[in-house]
Amino acid sequence: MKKFLIKVNGNQYEVEVEEIRDGSLPVYVPAAPAVSAPAAAPVQAAAPAPAAPVNEKKAVTGGTVGAVKVNAPMPGTILKVVASVGDKVKRGQVLVVLEAMKMENEIVAPSDGEVASINVDRGASVNAGDLLASIN
Amino acid sequence: MGTIERINDLHVRKQGLEAGGGADRIARQHEAGKLTARERLEKLFDQDSFVEVDAFVETRAIDFDMQKKKVPGDGVVTGYGTIDGRPVFVSSQDFTVIGGSLGEAHARKITKVMDMAMKVGAPFISINDSGGARIEEGIDALSGYGDIFFRNTLASGVIPQISVIMGPCAGGAVYSPAITDFVFMVEKTSYMFITGPQVIKSVTGEDVTFETLGGAEVHNAKSGVAHFMNANEEECLKEIRRLISFLPDNNLTDPELKPVNDDLNRIEEGLLDLIPDNSNKPYDIKEIITRILDNGDFMEVQKHFAKNIVVGLGRMNGKTVGIIANQPQVMAGVLDVDSADKAARFIRFCDSFNIPLVTFTDTAGYLPGTGQEYSGVIRHGAKLLYAFSEATVPKINVIVRKAYGGAYIAMNSKHLGADIVFAWPSAEIAVMGPDGAANIIFRKEIAAADDAIAAREQKIEEYRNKFSNPYIAASRGYVDDVIDPATTRGRIINALEMLAGKRENRPAKKHGNIPL
Repeated sequence: MKKFLIKVNGNQYEVEVEEIRDGSLPVYVPAAPAVSAPAAAPVQAAAPAPAAPVNEKKAVTGGTVGAVKVNAPMPGTILKVVASVGDKVKRGQVLVVLEAMKMENEIVAPSDGEVASINVDRGASVNAGDLLASIN
Repeated sequence: MGTIERINDLHVRKQGLEAGGGADRIARQHEAGKLTARERLEKLFDQDSFVEVDAFVETRAIDFDMQKKKVPGDGVVTGYGTIDGRPVFVSSQDFTVIGGSLGEAHARKITKVMDMAMKVGAPFISINDSGGARIEEGIDALSGYGDIFFRNTLASGVIPQISVIMGPCAGGAVYSPAITDFVFMVEKTSYMFITGPQVIKSVTGEDVTFETLGGAEVHNAKSGVAHFMNANEEECLKEIRRLISFLPDNNLTDPELKPVNDDLNRIEEGLLDLIPDNSNKPYDIKEIITRILDNGDFMEVQKHFAKNIVVGLGRMNGKTVGIIANQPQVMAGVLDVDSADKAARFIRFCDSFNIPLVTFTDTAGYLPGTGQEYSGVIRHGAKLLYAFSEATVPKINVIVRKAYGGAYIAMNSKHLGADIVFAWPSAEIAVMGPDGAANIIFRKEIAAADDAIAAREQKIEEYRNKFSNPYIAASRGYVDDVIDPATTRGRIINALEMLAGKRENRPAKKHGNIPL
């Protein structure tokens, strides 16, 4: 059993991973907080190994995500999170401030709506295309 | 038949032709929120100025009983009219007549008015509302498309060409708009795509609607195929008239001079205040553009695409200018694949049609990353340098804030042939940003220091004070003058007047080989 510290959208998760070999029945030990057990995958011995990590990832990011997704336009660091979940926002209103190319880029709401999720924390490093927030 | 009868017969024939596909189909066109081919021309041109050509042309196809079908005007209305008194040629596809499909005669009508437009040197506008090639006419329809593309290409850089999408424009039909200078689309009623949703479904299994595949929003914001998006056809036709007002009739004339009632030396005290003291803070470059142009009248081109660069047309002292400006508010105003493409195409349009270039520079540089490199930012970015170097119209650059490294060179620098380069006192012109430069130049000092962080901060500050200003570039003559931002309008107009007689030749050649 190997232990990994995984950072997803600025949140840290402690994840335990065990490779499933033919015939061996793994004993599943729930990992430290936040990660819901991917119950189905490890029990079946025949399940293909890659299935487990995929399920885990879904469990982590599986919160409510709004219909309108706001992605990072370029790689950078989150300098400030301005909006919070549940806020009513107007098109053009600042959601987060992304520091990239030595500029404090204001990432704004692409449409009117309610903030459904904020997927990054202050200080998080993001890549171009990463989900920053979503709006309903 | 006596003379009176013959004249009556003519009227009857003309009425039949003008009725297009008939009352039912016209009603359906209206229900879809669309005007008919002729209604569009009424709104596009000055009142009663439209003159039709080739109304009597009809198809000679006989396969699939085509001779028994009534096809008034072969599904397209062509001719010429005036916009603010200036002649403009037009083709307007009639969706009510067998879906505006393009057959041999239909295409001939279009190419005929294109040839006329070329002969007299007047703009050509093509209104697209067509189901595509007329299958019954086989390769004669394909030949028609090819003839149009060929003329679009010959006319490119000779007369302004504008495409207007007011219905479907699919398959081969999309390439004529793609070659022309500007593409207008109307929200909800216009679509452009190479292959439609049904074909996509059968080939890739992907489910996609007309709107998400090739609607106005998609082509204006994502693909960059279209340049303008309007809420309805009336607004769209009005905007086309506005665009024409900025353009010359052809490459041998200048854009029309408009009377000016705006003070040429208007002092704009607030301009420098727009720039935040902290150079890491964004602001809206369009504020600067509109304050400097005559009456703040700015017609932005490709407003929704690659928003990190702003391009468009305005007037200074009544003369049309093309504006190219980095937009610090979007993605730090970086140069990337899309913004370089967008700006380069616009620069070449302006250069083709004698429109001076005025640029405002404030960019963080070329966007780093694998995404950009894999997309070919080298060859796309090169277009910007190529287009500026190639242009022989008056070129004026105002360095507002950041101009570092390769981006400094690319943005209409003295080195690429800019005639006049102004810098505001807020300008930072250097080989790279202070942080990066200090890290490299003073690496050893920083490493050797007891407190590396403090040492780095100090060196960055040192570099900033010494190099991040306009005066080093000005001392070399790369910047002609450092100006008070409040006087920018007057200084640009003065420079444009000085440059009015500019003559600059390039070596004779067939054409250059721009990195496409």
